[in-house]
Amino acid sequence: MSTTAKLTLLSVLTLAVMLLAPFAGLGDIADDVIRQQILYEIRLPRTLFAFAAGAGLALCGMVFQAMFHNPLATPFTLGVASGASFGAALTVLLGLNITLLGFDAMTLGAFIGALAAISFVYGISRLNYSFSIETLLLTGVATSFFFSSLILFTQYLSNINDSFRILRWLMGGLSISGYQSLLQLLPVVAFSVGIMIWLSRELNLLMAGDDIAISRGVAVKRVRYLLFFTTSLCVGAIVALCGPIGFVGMMVPHICRLIIGTDHRWLIPATLIFGGGFLILCDTLARLVIAPAELPVGIITTLLGGPFFLWLLVRSRRAA
Amino acid sequence: MIEVSALHVQLQDKKLLADISFSLDAGDYLVVVGPNGAGKSSLLKAMMGIIDKSSGDILFHDRPLSGYSQRELARLISYVPQSSGRELPFAVEDFLKMSRYAHHTALSEWQPDDQAAVEDALRITNTAQFRQRQMTTLSGGESQRVMIAAALAQQTPVMLLDEPTSYLDPHHQVEVHRVIARLNQQLGITVIEVSHDINHAGQKGRQVLALTDGEAAWQGPGEIFLEQERLQRLYQQEFVFVTHPRSGRTIALADPL
Repeated sequence: MSTTAKLTLLSVLTLAVMLLAPFAGLGDIADDVIRQQILYEIRLPRTLFAFAAGAGLALCGMVFQAMFHNPLATPFTLGVASGASFGAALTVLLGLNITLLGFDAMTLGAFIGALAAISFVYGISRLNYSFSIETLLLTGVATSFFFSSLILFTQYLSNINDSFRILRWLMGGLSISGYQSLLQLLPVVAFSVGIMIWLSRELNLLMAGDDIAISRGVAVKRVRYLLFFTTSLCVGAIVALCGPIGFVGMMVPHICRLIIGTDHRWLIPATLIFGGGFLILCDTLARLVIAPAELPVGIITTLLGGPFFLWLLVRSRRAA
Repeated sequence: MIEVSALHVQLQDKKLLADISFSLDAGDYLVVVGPNGAGKSSLLKAMMGIIDKSSGDILFHDRPLSGYSQRELARLISYVPQSSGRELPFAVEDFLKMSRYAHHTALSEWQPDDQAAVEDALRITNTAQFRQRQMTTLSGGESQRVMIAAALAQQTPVMLLDEPTSYLDPHHQVEVHRVIARLNQQLGITVIEVSHDINHAGQKGRQVLALTDGEAAWQGPGEIFLEQERLQRLYQQEFVFVTHPRSGRTIALADPL
């Protein structure tokens, strides 16, 4: 099958998921007015929101995997998401109520936390002359733990209400209503996608390693900082709005690479579409499993992601 | 066209290169030799802008390295790293196409002369027959030729090669050296090659830069490089010298006794 055909198929499947998801579990509501209201005020914005968040998470994962040439390196494994979570939780604790350029305090906190985490992790792994992916991943793990205990500390200091709010949000959920959150997230994701498409040739060359990328003419440092900034912004916004939803950024781009190949000019649209569709699917599942109550979607993605992570680990071991 | 003067490179506390100076004209062929860890690869990396210099100057066409954007530099110099390239997740032809990066902007389209550059590179290095293959499926020798092809596709007047024959059997070593010689002599490409093959370095028409511990131990024309005391000091190793029965050239052999 040609790449175009695969991409078309992927789009059609995702579109089908998008069209069907809002109606799932809607059958037993008899009243037409309420049905319409739920559909347009809750389900539709939620589906679109899930698409944007899933696409954003998957693309940020894709960028990290390309930059570090390893499928295990993602914003979540490298501690960026926990940095963002801590930043956001801190703003809840402090009761900050500022907005800057249309971003609320929680988003700003998450963005700064994400940026701090990636600067730290990358800085540490560069301290040694011989940069190794193992050092990077282990630094990421340590950083994750560090931020996790800071989050616990924040929770401990918070009152019972805020503490529960933080806990519930940490599980990762998409229970939004109305279009407010969607309108906050969409520009950030759109901006990130734009940057990534613009840098797709650079991303291809980064996969060949820094030395080759530099010798082919890529200003690697500048590109990397721009990508750190972009992914921090994107992960920060997503984490602030729906909590850390793990493993989407690891599974989706890796599967897309197996289907589409490594050329980012194709991989970016594929990851975007598949990431969006995948999170809608997970969210629908989360709504239906114990209906009428619903699970936080983060539980579903992590339940799927854990085994996937192990599979990758075993596979890469065997390859090495 | 290339002027390196008093070049120092340091990484944290580790001195990689100290006080290296040389100059090359267009079409020159410089072979950098020396024992392992002498700083040969670091020299190439510093010239390509992969590692930063601590002090000194690297000038191309009388303009300092820092005066070029990385893209401009990549239109002037190409680089064949020491790695075999077999870990790269690309098909051969795609990898060669990626070499055209410096000739493009984010929006420009693939041009006929881009394709021509790729075809030329495949033909010159005799790699066209596996253009569709994945790099991971190539043999060491095949992938090394592909790495050279990829640098060639960049179409630069200067090429830096870091041990381009280290993974090759004798036949392919000869083949690759013939390719490099042809690039140098027929296309006038300036070549800087890191090599452990002292007999390859010690030929007429080559210049030699011998490094030990990051410093220049000797530099001069290739035909006078092969000399008992010099080699012994450089490699801490006894050598014997014989005359090649057909070409009459002097050949140095490491003497295990």
